Amino acid sequence: MNKTLLGYVPEQSPIYAVHPFVKLFFLLVVSLFPMFIASPEWNLALMLFILGLMWLSRVDMRVLRIYVPMVISMGSVIFLSYTVLGGVHPEFGLAARIAGVNIYWERIRDASVVYARILPMIFTMVFFLSTSRERDVIVAMRSVRIPFVVTYVFAMALRAAGMVLEDFQIVRQAEQARGFDTAGKSIPYRIRKYVMYMIPLFALSLRRSEEFANALLARGYAFTGEASRVKRADYVLTHYSFRPADLLLTAAIGLAFAALLVLRFGFGYFELERSWFIAWLKTALD
Amino acid sequence: MATHAPSIPGAPGKMTAEQIWSVEAGERRPVGVIHIVILALLIGIGFVVGAFGSISFPLGFGVNFFWTGIAVQQVGAIWFGAWGVLAGTIFPFFSNAVAGTPFYISLAYVPANAVQAFLPAWAFRFFKADPRLQSGRDYLILLATMIVSSAFGALWSPLVVLRGFGLLTTESVPLFIWGWFGGNVIAGLVFNFILLKALSGVVIRTPSFVKRWLS
Repeated sequence: MNKTLLGYVPEQSPIYAVHPFVKLFFLLVVSLFPMFIASPEWNLALMLFILGLMWLSRVDMRVLRIYVPMVISMGSVIFLSYTVLGGVHPEFGLAARIAGVNIYWERIRDASVVYARILPMIFTMVFFLSTSRERDVIVAMRSVRIPFVVTYVFAMALRAAGMVLEDFQIVRQAEQARGFDTAGKSIPYRIRKYVMYMIPLFALSLRRSEEFANALLARGYAFTGEASRVKRADYVLTHYSFRPADLLLTAAIGLAFAALLVLRFGFGYFELERSWFIAWLKTALD
Repeated sequence: MATHAPSIPGAPGKMTAEQIWSVEAGERRPVGVIHIVILALLIGIGFVVGAFGSISFPLGFGVNFFWTGIAVQQVGAIWFGAWGVLAGTIFPFFSNAVAGTPFYISLAYVPANAVQAFLPAWAFRFFKADPRLQSGRDYLILLATMIVSSAFGALWSPLVVLRGFGLLTTESVPLFIWGWFGGNVIAGLVFNFILLKALSGVVIRTPSFVKRWLS
């Protein structure tokens, strides 16, 4: 298994045939799709499509478990925000009255639209994080000629995040070995005591910053002055080639977005008035 | 006969708040590799610490009831100036992403995160407050900037971003404003004071400490 930013992908996966830039392009462009689609069924179809891509890429789908509470909590917040906290609107159609609170049809419809918009955006991000390694992000950035220093900072940041997680485990085990354990304690107690992890984490990172800087200097790295102008070999890029298939995929994503805009603004597709899901929901609530 | 050890100008234990922020004549403070490293490490810490808050106490769309990332954002900016502000602006992209916040919503949060990081850093430099929190004035400056910057973030994010994306109704906006504000200020009260008190004495002696904005 290969470790990605979020989970694991097997050694053999079709996703490795795709250039990292295409994955980044997919994230940036496909995240825009739901903003122009009002019909929930299209957004849900997009979400299923992305889930299908994850399955095709042989992503360990257990990674989605951490998003279940998130998706439920976000859904609850959206529906509560639109219905219970939706205010009094005599101009709207009353769908139900629960404990003195008016629940309007228009609010339920809008909540469904918003929720269906958010879901594919989240899954696009999850797809990217679960199929991209640290190296992929660097390659994608270098492919579009982002300056070396910026790429290097991102690479170090991603590496630092992994180190902070390791440090966190070490600090926690060290504190447990000294008899400190928050298991079974209340949330306010845990929050208060979280600072006992924060101080060592900061202190370790500060100490590490000097080690990092010394190691970089010893290897001749410089980000300012004469030494920074020396062209460095992009070794990591030599492992990746942007093939015709990648070009086709990039073009297909771009064209899909253009087609979406034309259909939406030129022909009125993806609007609420054409949504069979909304029509079905209205019938179900009537 | 002297009863006290002679004070050494510039020695950290004896440094006044004024001396901490002022650059002595002839003192060279170049921008170096250490600052780039600090930027990367702060993004890394913020990624992990911010994601913890985002996943554990979510309200939705990257708004949390207790956002631990604020400590990295504000304390980092006080110590490391522009590098901390930059890190505080960038790391929420990562921590929000892991917590399932769509990319473009994180992008729209940039002004809120930038101000939340910038304001305490600016106030400490402008008012020459001591990052070791030696006086009531230092505490007051930190508290005031935490409140004002979080208030800006709390107004910007629900009113401009979430309303702009059509994600909230007018009636539900106050919940998110209070969620953002409370989540940041409470976490700031828990972590910022202790971190500054515990570590500033060490940090101001390191070459990575930023007196002005870049070095």
